[in-house]
Amino acid sequence: MADEKSSQPEHPTPLRGPREGVPAKPEGKHPGVAADVAALAGGLKTTLSEFFRPVVTTMYPEDKTVRSERYRGRHYLRRYDNGLERCIGCELCAAACPVGCILVIAAENSDENRVSPGERYAKTYEINMLRCIFCGYCEDACPVQAIVLGPEYELSDTSREKFIYTKEKLLEPMPPDVEARLRASAAHPSPLPDGERGTPK
Amino acid sequence: MPDINLTIDGHKVTVPAGTLIVEAAKTVGIEIPVFCYHHKLDPVGACRLCLVDFSPGPPRPQTACTTPVAEGMVVRTQSAMAVQARADILEFELVNHPLDCPVCDKGGECPLQDFTFRHGYPTSRIDGPRLHFKKPIPLSENIALDRERCVLCYRCTRYYDEIAWEQELTVAQRGVQSFITSQFDQPLQSNFSGNIIDLCPVGALTSRVWRFESRPWDMTHTESVCSKCAVGCNTTMWQRRGQLVRITSRENDDIDEGWICDRGRFDYTDVNEPSRLRTPTIRGAKSTWADALAATAGGIKGKGAKLGISLPADLTNEEAFLFRRLLDGPLKGAKVKMHGRTAIPAPAGPTMPIKEIDDARVIVVVASDIENDVPIIDLRVKKAVSKRGAKLIVIYPEGVDLDRNPHTVHIRNAKGAAAEEVRKLSSHELLQNPGGPVAILFGDGHGSEDMNDLASACGALAEQVGGKEMPLYRATNERGALALGVAGWDSLDGVEALLSWGPPPTAGVPTSVRFLAAWDHLPRDGYDKAAVVLPATTFAERQGSYTNLEGTVQFLRPPVAINPPLKEAWEVLNELGAALGLELDYPGIFPIQRDAAAKTPALAALAQTPSPEPVTGPVLVGPAHP
Repeated sequence: MADEKSSQPEHPTPLRGPREGVPAKPEGKHPGVAADVAALAGGLKTTLSEFFRPVVTTMYPEDKTVRSERYRGRHYLRRYDNGLERCIGCELCAAACPVGCILVIAAENSDENRVSPGERYAKTYEINMLRCIFCGYCEDACPVQAIVLGPEYELSDTSREKFIYTKEKLLEPMPPDVEARLRASAAHPSPLPDGERGTPK
Repeated sequence: MPDINLTIDGHKVTVPAGTLIVEAAKTVGIEIPVFCYHHKLDPVGACRLCLVDFSPGPPRPQTACTTPVAEGMVVRTQSAMAVQARADILEFELVNHPLDCPVCDKGGECPLQDFTFRHGYPTSRIDGPRLHFKKPIPLSENIALDRERCVLCYRCTRYYDEIAWEQELTVAQRGVQSFITSQFDQPLQSNFSGNIIDLCPVGALTSRVWRFESRPWDMTHTESVCSKCAVGCNTTMWQRRGQLVRITSRENDDIDEGWICDRGRFDYTDVNEPSRLRTPTIRGAKSTWADALAATAGGIKGKGAKLGISLPADLTNEEAFLFRRLLDGPLKGAKVKMHGRTAIPAPAGPTMPIKEIDDARVIVVVASDIENDVPIIDLRVKKAVSKRGAKLIVIYPEGVDLDRNPHTVHIRNAKGAAAEEVRKLSSHELLQNPGGPVAILFGDGHGSEDMNDLASACGALAEQVGGKEMPLYRATNERGALALGVAGWDSLDGVEALLSWGPPPTAGVPTSVRFLAAWDHLPRDGYDKAAVVLPATTFAERQGSYTNLEGTVQFLRPPVAINPPLKEAWEVLNELGAALGLELDYPGIFPIQRDAAAKTPALAALAQTPSPEPVTGPVLVGPAHP
């Protein structure tokens, strides 16, 4: 060990040599001042020509760019037309979530308290938006298309607690372009061929 | 039994004669899917899912669950014929199975799901209407039945017939229209009904207590021991978000054989009770542990025989050991009463192990309501009688469920006269020439019998017929508490101070009590008058060990973490000892166990480090779908 240590140089040699990466000086005679001015003018011409091009900067937040119709922003929980919640509390979204930001606690529907069709509904449905990576796996996993990702991306808020989106918040009425997004997503089905389930061979 | 050599999928297997192919395949890690077959039930061959192909044999797929192995047999589970036969059977199982896996409590741990993935076809050809039933149907307070999901394996009804000796569950209608129903649509009343939930290979029978509480993958599970009676059945406790959400059985052939009673399975919701006591209080005001224990010590110190102590049925060996130290020291002379204990004295030596009931030729059950006191012993007795041909003699004043076997000899004694009947037994015809071991199981008739008399009568009978005795203790750790001498049986009448640990004394708090210190996990009536109330842990948060009725020491593993200010009982006893002036400075549970093992011969097993999590069986791997 001691030998190995002593064989190490005290200051390691830098990986880059002193002139490495520096462009070589042009060879031959200097072309003269006129050529320098001409080069400067050429550069300024490029700069000045940009004045007359159309403006591409978007003045966010006053102006906003157009998003892809398949853009994945904040989540919404959908309802059926008769007002019942679609979510059946099966927790498959939570199981599919790669970051574990979804908490679902299920409960049983009764005739007195019917929240969703069928036997089961989500008593608690919470998404931690600070953790969410907006991958959309929850939407893929959902067997009843209850959870969808909407177009909003401006989700900043003033406290960490406010980023835990509760069921009430997720059930807010959806903006109309969510439906457009669902249609667009349906037009791009899963790339897996029919019947392929990743069964180990 | 002679050994048989055979080949399964190219693996050479040697198993005892009479082994079924499906069991032989397990020994080399080959999965043959089964629904109707269960290793504790008689084979029936109802579901046809275990089809394999073997030679010599007919040129058709045969059921592996009903065929015993034969010398030189060659079994092929992967031949094209067998693989397709199983996939076809699975397709038939799914004809009427609803696609409600997302809301089904079995989803995630469902053999039908797993087998369909591993052995079935990847796509469905079923597009016709499916059979529909009303669902869910409550079979009892604890069990829900979903007839649409049922695959008619008859495990539940066979369990009821063979194991539990009940007639409450049956199949109605014929063929594809068959469905499971309780007799005359009456709710199930058996104390053993919960086992059908574990047995059901699909989501047809599910727990109503656990209903929609969580998906299987949300929970962590802990291998622990049931704390409801003295049998010490092994259980798996399931935790989600700091709550105990489910208890299932865990097979230990020496004790429970994979069954637990309904009390052990469903009686756990008090652990999650929101109103549970969490902070010590003095006269209703919140306080620190130090103040509360100082107040307790002040109230109970130096009272001698005027101090009463009520102990819970499920105190662990470690807690009992610490309590022994207190009783030998500052609390000397106190009257101690243990909850739920029998009047049976401490055993003089080793008693009959539970598993030996299987081999008994004659079983004598004396003065015990065995079905309710020690339920899983009851199932053992039933197994010995119905599967091993043992003869059964019951001495009990009232009817018991063992009477359902017509050959049971039931001697109805007058209350308190069981000993007399036992003495007469030595001349009973069944005991003249038993032809094998005799098991004598005796209880205390719920306090109605003179135990000294009965114990000596049973001892004399055992000597005469060459039998072994098994005292049927009732309280969870009665045997451990007896070994440590804390299982008191004193009357608490007339005491001035009472330390009530666990639920209040069965007879109520005596009126003479001036100072009451309650140490319990739930707020109960009368605690508002208590001077000190200390919060206690439940079985789900406790470390330690129980000695079961046969003397086996088993370790508890807590599934739920303790949140301060809740403290473990051994810690509280340490501090209470300090407050009383007794130096108990155990830094943890292991030093207590080592000390207890060194000082108490019956608890020598405590010195061994608690066994690690039990090793799970080999992962059975099946083929991909055809």
